[in-house]
Amino acid sequence: MSFMNSLNISCARLGLALLLTLASSTLRIEAQESPSLTELEEQAFKQAVAFAEPSIVRIQTVGGLDRVGQILTSTGPTSGLVVSEDGYIISSAFNFISKPASVLVELADGRRFPAIEVATDRSRMLTLLKIEAENLKPAIPVPKDELAVGQWAIAAGRTYSAQVPNVSIGIVSALNRIWGKAIQTDAKVSPVNYGGPLLNIEGKVMGVLVPLSASATTETAGVEWYDSGIGFAIPLEDVYAILDRLKEGEDLHPGLMGVTFRRNDLTEGELEIDMVRPDSPAYRAGMRRGDILLSVDEMPLSRVGHLRYALGTHYAGETIPATFRKGEEVIETTMTLVETLIPYESGFLGILPTREPIDAPRTGVTVRYVYTESAADQAGLKKDDRIVEFQGEPVKEYADLWTLISRERPENEVSVTFERGNLKETVKLTLTTTTEEIPVELLDEFIPPPEEGDVDKDLPTGFVTVPMEAHNHEYWAYIPNDYNPSYQYGLVVWIHPGGDTMEASIAQDWQQLCERRGLIMIGPKAAKIGAWNLNEAEFIKDAVLDIKSRYRIDDRRIAIHGYGSGGAFAAHLAFKYRDTFRAAAIAGAPIPSRPPENDPEYRLQLLFSCGDEDPEFEKVDASVKILKRLKFPVVFQVLKGRGHTYPTPARLEEISIWLDSLDRL
Amino acid sequence: MNTLPSDRLRFLAAYAVLLAGLLVPVQSLAQVDTNEQVSQMIQPKMVKIFGAGGLRNLHSYSTGFLVSPEGHIVTVWSHVLDRDQVTVILANGRKETAAVLGAEPQLDLAVLKIVREGLQLPYFDLEETTSAVPGTRILAFSNMFKVATGDEPVSILHGVIAAKTKLTARRGAYEVPYDGPVYIIDAITNNPGAGGGLVTTTDGQLLAMIGKELRNNESNTWINYAMPMSELTPVIRQIMSGDYVSQQTKNDNEDNPLSYQPLDFGILMVPDVVFRTPAYIEVVEDGSIAAELNLRPGDLVLFVNDNLVQSCREFREQLGNLEAGDDLSLIVRRDDALITVETLVPNKPDTN
Repeated sequence: MSFMNSLNISCARLGLALLLTLASSTLRIEAQESPSLTELEEQAFKQAVAFAEPSIVRIQTVGGLDRVGQILTSTGPTSGLVVSEDGYIISSAFNFISKPASVLVELADGRRFPAIEVATDRSRMLTLLKIEAENLKPAIPVPKDELAVGQWAIAAGRTYSAQVPNVSIGIVSALNRIWGKAIQTDAKVSPVNYGGPLLNIEGKVMGVLVPLSASATTETAGVEWYDSGIGFAIPLEDVYAILDRLKEGEDLHPGLMGVTFRRNDLTEGELEIDMVRPDSPAYRAGMRRGDILLSVDEMPLSRVGHLRYALGTHYAGETIPATFRKGEEVIETTMTLVETLIPYESGFLGILPTREPIDAPRTGVTVRYVYTESAADQAGLKKDDRIVEFQGEPVKEYADLWTLISRERPENEVSVTFERGNLKETVKLTLTTTTEEIPVELLDEFIPPPEEGDVDKDLPTGFVTVPMEAHNHEYWAYIPNDYNPSYQYGLVVWIHPGGDTMEASIAQDWQQLCERRGLIMIGPKAAKIGAWNLNEAEFIKDAVLDIKSRYRIDDRRIAIHGYGSGGAFAAHLAFKYRDTFRAAAIAGAPIPSRPPENDPEYRLQLLFSCGDEDPEFEKVDASVKILKRLKFPVVFQVLKGRGHTYPTPARLEEISIWLDSLDRL
Repeated sequence: MNTLPSDRLRFLAAYAVLLAGLLVPVQSLAQVDTNEQVSQMIQPKMVKIFGAGGLRNLHSYSTGFLVSPEGHIVTVWSHVLDRDQVTVILANGRKETAAVLGAEPQLDLAVLKIVREGLQLPYFDLEETTSAVPGTRILAFSNMFKVATGDEPVSILHGVIAAKTKLTARRGAYEVPYDGPVYIIDAITNNPGAGGGLVTTTDGQLLAMIGKELRNNESNTWINYAMPMSELTPVIRQIMSGDYVSQQTKNDNEDNPLSYQPLDFGILMVPDVVFRTPAYIEVVEDGSIAAELNLRPGDLVLFVNDNLVQSCREFREQLGNLEAGDDLSLIVRRDDALITVETLVPNKPDTN
């Protein structure tokens, strides 16, 4: 317990001084026996604050926003810390979230100066100010290697009084918190001392008090923990280390590398890369899906949490080493971290493929439909053209073309070779972003009835009810009457709202659509019709697997569809089972939670349908905006003048066309 | 930190008793310095108060402390006292009835008196109060969250005096009436039922009474404050002796047509469009006081008589408080310099 030692030493020193003064007051003899530890500590606290006091400044702001998000911004004074003789002051970025028109700094001696905001560190949430003053007393840092858990920690600010700093006493609760960035203390930390110092018992500065959160990075994150016994301070040594960069006016940002992992569990499992953002540091370093990240910045990684530590203290622009394993090969590389990542977005050619019978010869992708003003349209592609090459690579079937286009981003120039009758032509075109247009003139694609010999007597058509014994559940299914096992069908999974399976009306609405658009529909039923239980997700997934095992389903056209509370659950399932669902048509409900990253491998398309007088409309609108920002392809069908209702047959027709165009490229 | 090995503690205690006996008749307060001893000294004089409330978020309980052997109790003035009589549970668990003897809403202070006569209760001597500075260690005694019932002792928190300051707080949307000094403490006393509790030094001297649940107006955080005994004691004494008259007088001169406006000084402000429009001067009239003082359009007014003004609204309020003949000092920011100008407030032109 090194802190006990250092405490004893400082107490002893103090004790000696006290004893000298106490010697005359003979009545307090017990002080000799035990110079009241409590009293000596209290003296030490006060002396520590007095020692640091000249470096603690008061900051006042004028003008600015009165509200940031849910938080009413403060109008009161805040605190800062002198970090150079010539007028640089470090403070918490939180103190300036109201974007004040003017900032004033009041020094310990009462002099006031206008201040300019020089730069902000968005990782450690610090703001550097400059005033035109000389001969200031910079704060003296405690070396990081002298910090230890259990040491006294004194949080100070200059908020309540300009003359006497406000204080709170605690201990160092932990070191290297918030992914290596912060000291944690149980002293009370709040807006009354954000920007002020966390002092040790000698009055040297351990760190600068800031609100921080391990999970969120917004400018107000961590404020909800004020005065709770969980407070944070950025080590002053780390502040001095970045001071020169901040003085240059450079804003610092957390450094990002651009990968996600197969397992999101922070606490176990090797780091198998799931997604790599396009053009990200990880991408440039050669990392791809399935590679295993082994170390970053010399730190061996055996769980995802380690990577947060390895990156936590680094800023965008810094170059750090990394090693990863690709198959059997271990690759050493470096990455230059970046401030922002480009969301994944696939390029769009602008065609729908003709759906061939399963045993058709693989000789290319025949165009079923060309989207107007798409890249394909501009390049002159027409219905029935057969695409045989893309970027010089052979295209034998739909999957080939899909993979090749997935590698390309919007704005990329590509070459496409197609056959038209006896002609073979190569055109250059520039891919665009995916369209939101529903091709309303898209005609049904006729699936011929099966030949006499192909009819499987064991595969019923029309309405069927399928029990799922393993789950104690059942689902209903509608199979087109002329089901032809030589063709692949789309699948629509209907998630009923709580309290009503809507079985009859859905069947009536969708029967003809299924026949014409080559769709199979299934309707799993909640064990308790009143509401879906989250545990029933497995059952729904198994129902999909069950129907897939009997009928020919096109994996790329499996959609989930729900209304009201069923819509919210459908969205939940679509995000949960990215490898199963390619589309979600959500009626009268927003997404229930923050969506995951868009994923190039598992593309998910979304359609929202909502009355503009539906009480949920604003939330649905917000969901659409969030998803678009994340570059998900989203269609928003606004039902004018309607409240909370299921779409009308005319709008369902549109939805069915959208479902029929999910395999667009 | 506060616990010593128990052997040593016992030894110390015995030693202290020995000393007290052998040496001089010393003040008992000066020698108790373990939290346990302080607790033993304080707890018998604390009471739990139960009264009105219980609806919605209004708690129906608070804390108080005895200041006379006959049963005078000091507590916080709150809705809990909003009935003819309240129930008081003494430290030994005895249930008594008490009535409000007097209150000073300005101080959020009330003095109760146990109805029954002829009591001989342990009590705090109002002579033996003290004061403290930031960093002073304290103990806070209160029945927060009603966790103690019957003869159970009230809860003790420890902490330090964080600051001594003026209160700019609001309870809901209301300002507090009291504008004197308070202690801010770093123990979390801002809890239901803690109001009326006691803050002492670690050697058991009375420091302050725990205040109500309040938000700090300036930082928008809940604050833990206590009213210094030095502010309360004179009023408590007056209430106890029956010659106290509440000073419910506040001179409110807002909306007074005679208050000063920026135009009285020849200043026209920028349009006040948002809640916190900074107090920028838009026009300075020729030949006006502002012109004499060499104020200029674009100057940002930051201080009026050393009071920070954060908006046009606050600037108007500050001017509204002036009277003819007052000293007026303005600090304005012009580019990156602070400029101070001083003048005397003239008579209002139309009141000549």
